[in-house]
Amino acid sequence: MRRSRFTSRSLRRPGLNRPSIFLGCIVLVFVCLFPFVWMSLSSIKVLNELYTIPPQWWPEHPTLANYHKVLFESRIPRYFLNSIIVSVAATGLALVLAVFAANGFARFRFRGRSFWQACILVGQLLPTAAIIVPLFITLRVLGLVNTYWGLILVYMIITLPLSVWMLTSYFKAIPLELEEAAIIDGASRVGILFRITLPLSLPGIVAVLVYAFITTWNEFIFALCFATDSRVKTLPIGLAEFSTEFNTDWGAVMAASMVMTVPIALLFLVFQRHFVGGLTAGATKG
Amino acid sequence: MKSNTGLVFALPALIVLFMLIAYPVFYTGWLSVTNDQGQFTGLQNFSAVLRPRVTTQALWNTLWWVAGSIFFQVLLGVTAAILLNQNFMGRALVRSIALIPWVIPGIVAATTWAWMFHTEFGIINYMLTSTGALDEPVGWLTRSNTVMPAMIAINVWKLFPFVAIMVLAGLQTIPQELYEAARMDGASYWEEVRHVMLPQIRPVITAVTLLLVIWALNAITIIYAITRGGPANRTVITPIQIFRLAFENVEFNQAAALSVMFFAVVMLIVLAYSKAFASQPGEVQ
Repeated sequence: MRRSRFTSRSLRRPGLNRPSIFLGCIVLVFVCLFPFVWMSLSSIKVLNELYTIPPQWWPEHPTLANYHKVLFESRIPRYFLNSIIVSVAATGLALVLAVFAANGFARFRFRGRSFWQACILVGQLLPTAAIIVPLFITLRVLGLVNTYWGLILVYMIITLPLSVWMLTSYFKAIPLELEEAAIIDGASRVGILFRITLPLSLPGIVAVLVYAFITTWNEFIFALCFATDSRVKTLPIGLAEFSTEFNTDWGAVMAASMVMTVPIALLFLVFQRHFVGGLTAGATKG
Repeated sequence: MKSNTGLVFALPALIVLFMLIAYPVFYTGWLSVTNDQGQFTGLQNFSAVLRPRVTTQALWNTLWWVAGSIFFQVLLGVTAAILLNQNFMGRALVRSIALIPWVIPGIVAATTWAWMFHTEFGIINYMLTSTGALDEPVGWLTRSNTVMPAMIAINVWKLFPFVAIMVLAGLQTIPQELYEAARMDGASYWEEVRHVMLPQIRPVITAVTLLLVIWALNAITIIYAITRGGPANRTVITPIQIFRLAFENVEFNQAAALSVMFFAVVMLIVLAYSKAFASQPGEVQ
């Protein structure tokens, strides 16, 4: 009784005062949200509202013409499809490999385990610029430049290291006793992985999926080098092209930006808690 | 269990990583000391790539880019985290909104900011001139002394939310006893920040900063999409120079030589950093 009174009183920590919290939040929200708001407003403005001095804050004649242009008069829909194919395939492949690797790292002791784990980490730290040239040559030799498979392979390897890392810490958190009970019941190693470990680490799986999908969806520089044919170009490349192709048509560029941002933002908002939890777990648990 | 079953599980991932990362890294080394016919040329590619003035300029630009980005990312990220660690109504909403810049694709951030920085029709020039902060519109992306700060500002905007959520997670693991002890000693809020929060989140900041360095060195997207290195090479950072050498000049061997040097410098930074700041290897993630 005495203890609970003590903690309840001490929980009242001195904090920032209300006005500074309020002011801080206003500034933070404005800085983070404004470019997005400006992008959406610009995407529904007509041409002469975009190009006025001084700029017009609110569109007086909101229009969907920019979206019409993006969806029906450009190659953006095709690039959208390409992006989905590449991102889904790369995310799926990376997840399968990461699940097995993380299971190996989390559940077994073997010679050189920490060495191999460190190797995977180095894979995450490699500068893109240092591997882009040989990767291009390798893909060219394999005949994979300008194919879906080329991009899928590259995206798989750039998301794999962190996926393995995140999943390993999730798997480690599952009590060993559950698995030992299953072994006594005669389950195989793979059986345990699929019947016990995976269902229990669903939040971790979701975190990895969201991470890998967002990374591949947003990736720009590899796609720029390895997908120069419009049959395999992804959305980021399409958008970069769009801003030069339609030189000054900022309304259409902003509409295309919206088309690219909205799916990823929705995905993120739905799974935000899993994702942030999975990402921060590794850093704070050490 | 002392067997190799674990290695068998990890093997597919390791093989894939080896083929597509380790092999290219060694191949870069080979390319850097040969010519396009595959003949050994010693250090010729290195001296060829070091000669032009743009290489030194790119190095300085890279330093500015990395240092400027990271300083403000950490500063704003930690500030935002301390703010979001307070209890107030609507905190979850503010936290979600604060993550928006990080979720927006890099290329979208680049086009949107390019539009906002537009000299004539950009909203930024309008806000600054109408409030009297500027006398006349500034060509942010075309003037040689404003273009790099503008790029850094975009990069900071894009990544400080990441610092904020990582630091926030660290702040929330600080044991209550530490605050209580500080309060017994009559600490004010700012003393709590300085003597309890900051020391406790040091490991998180260390790990995050290393990631930010790597990301800044990889961040070609924003600069390339907006300026392609211009005006007058003012925003050429080394990764962009490698990219240009390889895919615009088709000088794969010189690009490889520059990659080798870049790679060596990056690895040195990473090693020195981990030695200097990380108390255990497990902390650097």
